[in-house]
Amino acid sequence: MTPFRIALLLATLCAVAAWQVGVIPESLMQMTVGPTLVPAVVVGGLAVLTLVYGVSAWRGRQSDESLAEDQSALPGANTRLLSLLAGGVAFMALVGPLGFIIPGTLCGMGVARAFDAPFHLKSAIVCGAIATAFWVLFAHILGVGLGPGLPWLI
Amino acid sequence: MSSFDALLAGFGNALQPVTLMWGFVGCFVGTLVGVLPGIGPALTIALLLPLTYHVPATSMFVMFAGIYYGAAYGGSTTSILIKTPGEAASMMTALEGNKMARRGRAGQALATAAIGSFVAGTIGTLALTFFAPLVVDAALAFGPAEYFSLMILSVVAVSAVLGNSMLRGLIALMLGALLGLVGIDLQTGQPRFTFGQAALLDGIEVTVAAVGIFAVGEALYLGWQGRESKAGEVMKLSGSLWMSKSDWARSWKAWLRGAFYGFPIGAMPAGGAELPTLLSYYTEKKLSKHPEEFGHGAIEGVAGPEAANNAAAAGVLMPLLTLGIPTSATAAIMLSAFEGYGIQTGPQLFASQGSLVWTLIASLYIGNVILLVLNLPLVGLWVKLLKIPPPWLYAGIIVISTAGVYGAGNSIFNVGLLFAFGLIGYAMRRFDFPAAPLIVGLILAPMAEQSMRQALTISMGNWTTFLTRPLSGSLLAIAALLLIAPPLWRKIRNR
Repeated sequence: MTPFRIALLLATLCAVAAWQVGVIPESLMQMTVGPTLVPAVVVGGLAVLTLVYGVSAWRGRQSDESLAEDQSALPGANTRLLSLLAGGVAFMALVGPLGFIIPGTLCGMGVARAFDAPFHLKSAIVCGAIATAFWVLFAHILGVGLGPGLPWLI
Repeated sequence: MSSFDALLAGFGNALQPVTLMWGFVGCFVGTLVGVLPGIGPALTIALLLPLTYHVPATSMFVMFAGIYYGAAYGGSTTSILIKTPGEAASMMTALEGNKMARRGRAGQALATAAIGSFVAGTIGTLALTFFAPLVVDAALAFGPAEYFSLMILSVVAVSAVLGNSMLRGLIALMLGALLGLVGIDLQTGQPRFTFGQAALLDGIEVTVAAVGIFAVGEALYLGWQGRESKAGEVMKLSGSLWMSKSDWARSWKAWLRGAFYGFPIGAMPAGGAELPTLLSYYTEKKLSKHPEEFGHGAIEGVAGPEAANNAAAAGVLMPLLTLGIPTSATAAIMLSAFEGYGIQTGPQLFASQGSLVWTLIASLYIGNVILLVLNLPLVGLWVKLLKIPPPWLYAGIIVISTAGVYGAGNSIFNVGLLFAFGLIGYAMRRFDFPAAPLIVGLILAPMAEQSMRQALTISMGNWTTFLTRPLSGSLLAIAALLLIAPPLWRKIRNR
């Protein structure tokens, strides 16, 4: 990933947003400013800024922190990134059928793996304790609707 | 009722055991999140927003204020002991404080930071008490046109003046504004940027965006880097917490000067806490009888910036409480909490929710005392927190973030958005896009659109109303100046 690729991503976002502005239904209400003006101005502004950023990035004038001294990624960066995201995906996939604690534990283990903790029993125990503690605090004590803690409570 | 009477009534409420308990919890949690790297007050308050359905507004805002002040106090511990400033405003504390710690004076560095925070926080709260009603009186003359212009000034100031690059700040702002416009248009009922998804009709929750960017984004960035598990050493808590006579003599003027820089600059739309801390540091360096110690552990270099940082925290509350304008990410989340309770912010807040506002202000005084008591005697506990291994620390942060977002509406879609915002946060962190403009834009864009439409309805569609009304025109002129002046100045200087 480079600043220029970020500019390309922003340009794609602008194109998608412009298409969405085009499909906003016109209001039948009589008013000076309809529902499309402000979105159009914002998308237009973002497009202009993206263009300036893109040109600046092309000339190598935009920063990438990872190129700074002591900031570059150590080997295995993508694996670490993916293991953290996998923890999130596991939570989303399992929170419905299994309640909060088991998916919360798996999510925590994915995050811990991203910070170089091996995927083993100790990690499962610590993350299980974290997920259980938060479920008890939020759902049991404070009454936030996290759903059941464990599958057999569903 | 005069401000003083209202404040006394506020103390009456704030000293009720239950309110006091929430204030104490807020201060404790605030210090905790201030000490822990990777988790700040904006994220913590965002995570606690689901509780707004269960806790009375006064208690909740007293707790939020405790978290906000507490984080400013706690940040100094991390800066001094592991030289990791949680935010730009703590940079100077990290520079001088860590050098003091390395010279065996960590205790004195922590003490001058905590006492300075107390002194400046109290001065800042005093200024808030007596100036806020004056600002409210002035703001009552504001119409929708002035509000629109004020919001434009605020977002321009937050994006263009703060951060390292005006261009990247403005892109973050536009991105936030775009996200803020997602959902049903409240005036016409038309869906915008929803891609036909029912889940997007209500718009994007501020909590999801803020937690995603601050918590998941930070964890993704640090995980990707892979350097956090090899984090720097935590300095030993060396030296007495008691300051010597000479330490007091070198600190007290720095505290006062820091407070007088911090509050007014913090209260400005473009102020923030970075500028006053830098100004305070360089003033102390210039005025010190020991300038040679700066860069090697000068106590004034910790006392002044820490005081400025805390006074600025009080200053940021001024535009939030009097005008309903957030000038930092934390203030933006607090504004969102007001909306969660259905409380209309702006100058009418003092009239319609006087009891809440004055209890909140009174709780800031009490919070300062609680924080002084919490910070120094419990410093050993805070040091232990710094030794939590990063895998378990970040696992805890992400699990609590996921719980906070999932608990707000049991929406798996929102958890997905949380991680999507995490990826945005990762990219923003890596390519140096500031996060605050995105959050402020997300909240202010729909409000600014609403004010603009109201102003145009009143002026019967006359667009010049924004320029011809003196106050509105002046605010827009300042905004334009903020946009044009810095690059122009740079160009002139380069010649």
